[in-house]
Amino acid sequence: MKLTLNNVEIFASTGGRDFNPSSGPVVLFVHGSGQSHLGFMLQHRFFANRGFQCITPDMPGHGLSKGEALTTVEAMADWYAQFMQALGIPKAILVGHSMGGLIELELASRCPDLITKAAFISTALAIPVNDALINLAATKESAAIAAMMDWGHGTAGHIHDHTMPGTSHMLYGSRLMAGNAPGTLHKDLVACNAYANGPTAAQSVTCPTLTVVCGQDRMTPRKTGLALQAALGGELVEIAQSGHMSITEHPFDVNKALRAFF
Amino acid sequence: MADYKFDTLSLHAGQSPDARFGSRAVPIHQTTSYVFDSTEHAAALFNMEVGGHIYSRLTNPTVAVLEQRLAALDGGVAAIATASGMSALFVTVLALCSAGDHIVSSSQMYGANINLFEHTLKRYGIETSFVPPNDPTAIAEAIRPNTKMVFGEVIGNPGMDIMDVPAVAKITQAAGIPLVIDATFNTPWMVKPIELGANVVIHSLTKWMGGHGIALGGAVIDGGNFDWGQNDKFPMLTTPHFGYQGAILWEEFGPAALSVRIRTEGMMNVGPCMSPQNAFYILQGLETLGLRMEKHMSNTVAMLEFLVGHEQIAWVKHPSLPDHPDHDTAMRLMPKGQGSIIACGIKGGRDAGRAFIESVQLASHLANVGDAKTLVIHPGSTTHSHLTSEAMASAGLTDDLIRISVGLEDQKDIIDDFKQALRTAGKLTSTQAKGSGA
Repeated sequence: MKLTLNNVEIFASTGGRDFNPSSGPVVLFVHGSGQSHLGFMLQHRFFANRGFQCITPDMPGHGLSKGEALTTVEAMADWYAQFMQALGIPKAILVGHSMGGLIELELASRCPDLITKAAFISTALAIPVNDALINLAATKESAAIAAMMDWGHGTAGHIHDHTMPGTSHMLYGSRLMAGNAPGTLHKDLVACNAYANGPTAAQSVTCPTLTVVCGQDRMTPRKTGLALQAALGGELVEIAQSGHMSITEHPFDVNKALRAFF
Repeated sequence: MADYKFDTLSLHAGQSPDARFGSRAVPIHQTTSYVFDSTEHAAALFNMEVGGHIYSRLTNPTVAVLEQRLAALDGGVAAIATASGMSALFVTVLALCSAGDHIVSSSQMYGANINLFEHTLKRYGIETSFVPPNDPTAIAEAIRPNTKMVFGEVIGNPGMDIMDVPAVAKITQAAGIPLVIDATFNTPWMVKPIELGANVVIHSLTKWMGGHGIALGGAVIDGGNFDWGQNDKFPMLTTPHFGYQGAILWEEFGPAALSVRIRTEGMMNVGPCMSPQNAFYILQGLETLGLRMEKHMSNTVAMLEFLVGHEQIAWVKHPSLPDHPDHDTAMRLMPKGQGSIIACGIKGGRDAGRAFIESVQLASHLANVGDAKTLVIHPGSTTHSHLTSEAMASAGLTDDLIRISVGLEDQKDIIDDFKQALRTAGKLTSTQAKGSGA
């Protein structure tokens, strides 16, 4: 679906089903740096066909949405609150991946009444980004994307063994990220790096939580995921064989964990 | 863990060792269909909510390994293996064009491609303009408002004209239409058209990719680098898809929209699928693609050194030779090698060509290219024997033309075979000259 928010045309995937927030529990998927709704391709379709009202917006500058990327995690959290208001979503289950987890933390601390449950996938209390990658995103975005695809995937991704027959994780991911508005990745990485309110925000999260931690994650390593889970409490699921891009590398395991949590 | 390189991907891409039995080789899943865990699982597979297999016309685990390996090697987001290279081209056209649409195509390419565009597609209301592949200006001028794709080969078959893919890609990008490249003669070891700006790559896997001449196959590689939503030219990808619960593929699958359309229409409704046995054979060939291509190239260099200046050879055509009209383009696009097909003329015309072909002992006389074995054919006495010399000339062929597909044998053995065959052809020419009183 398309809508206009803050005078910007926004695209949101509904998992191939009509979206009606009053006809079932709403699941709002929050994508990460340089990503879009397509990263959750194997989640939002799955849950949209199981009685959930799924909605996965592309933030401004990402995917099929117009406009320029937001520059802070705090602004992104406010944007998601506005998005929910614009679509008449009173409450939602949130599922955030990577930087989406930081946005989710911030949103949960600012607007706890909007969230019924929160799932944090391959994320942390903070996601520091090294200067070299930030600079690369500014000067040679394609190289930054290639580096992130390399670091972001575990064994299955590097060997191009996708659950969707005939598809390559890393090459699909590269094209997905290259499809964003110019400069989007750099802004996301700067925002990610600057966000320092995670530990404080985590203390404000009162809803049930699930943290999914991956053994081959080199972007939000296992120990940082465990630290997030320790701060939040709640449920923990570990996927030993997955890299950071667990939502595409190990969708069966991620969906199984989410289904049990929902 | 690393970003694996070409030779590693040739061996490993697409396959995790079998979890149940630990099979290191790719298992041949010789099955038509797959048992569902439950009705919910079946519904999820049909709705593409989860990955997996339903029926081997659509996907098969062995074929999927090949597809993923091809996508990795060519730099595409996805690949679809087909029964042949021709069916790969057909399902691509099916996904992009409808009655009333138009294609701009290279005029110098494989005859079956020409026939498909000129005759078969025309019957279904799709017209094609043929233009020289090495003339980007002519390509640009041939594009119409209803043009839906530009098609050509990197190395043309049989004329070996070279398409300047980056130059043509700029034209198609400006026109908002995809550039579809048949890369059969180059393979991704020589050049990856997607990296040069092409959007879709077609292969006949029967040739160098398999390399053994034992299995037919084709593939479409979806580059995932074309914005299908930039205009209204591609409603098959930007409006609800009849075959997929009304989903808009560009929105649902983004960079993989084209490959999903091909799988859910071309493969589903036409059905030119690859058998798992053939996928296994082609995977065996791909494992050594890099090694084989290096040897193809070095043997081709040796063969060219032998042929150029030989007293029985009237002319030699190969993109690496400085007198080839597209030499500079070939060297720029394919610095590792410019292909293992050589065209040459035997002095003495059609009869001398026939005598040469009948005299080779190691080289095989047949209608294929890209085999591990050296292959030769004389169009004047085989594929085009029904044509007059004038008709041959208009097709860009000459009476004396011999096409050589240089194989992997020891260089000396191939060259010795050619030496003795040329001696035989030379004796015939000499006898003819004496008989005519010349």
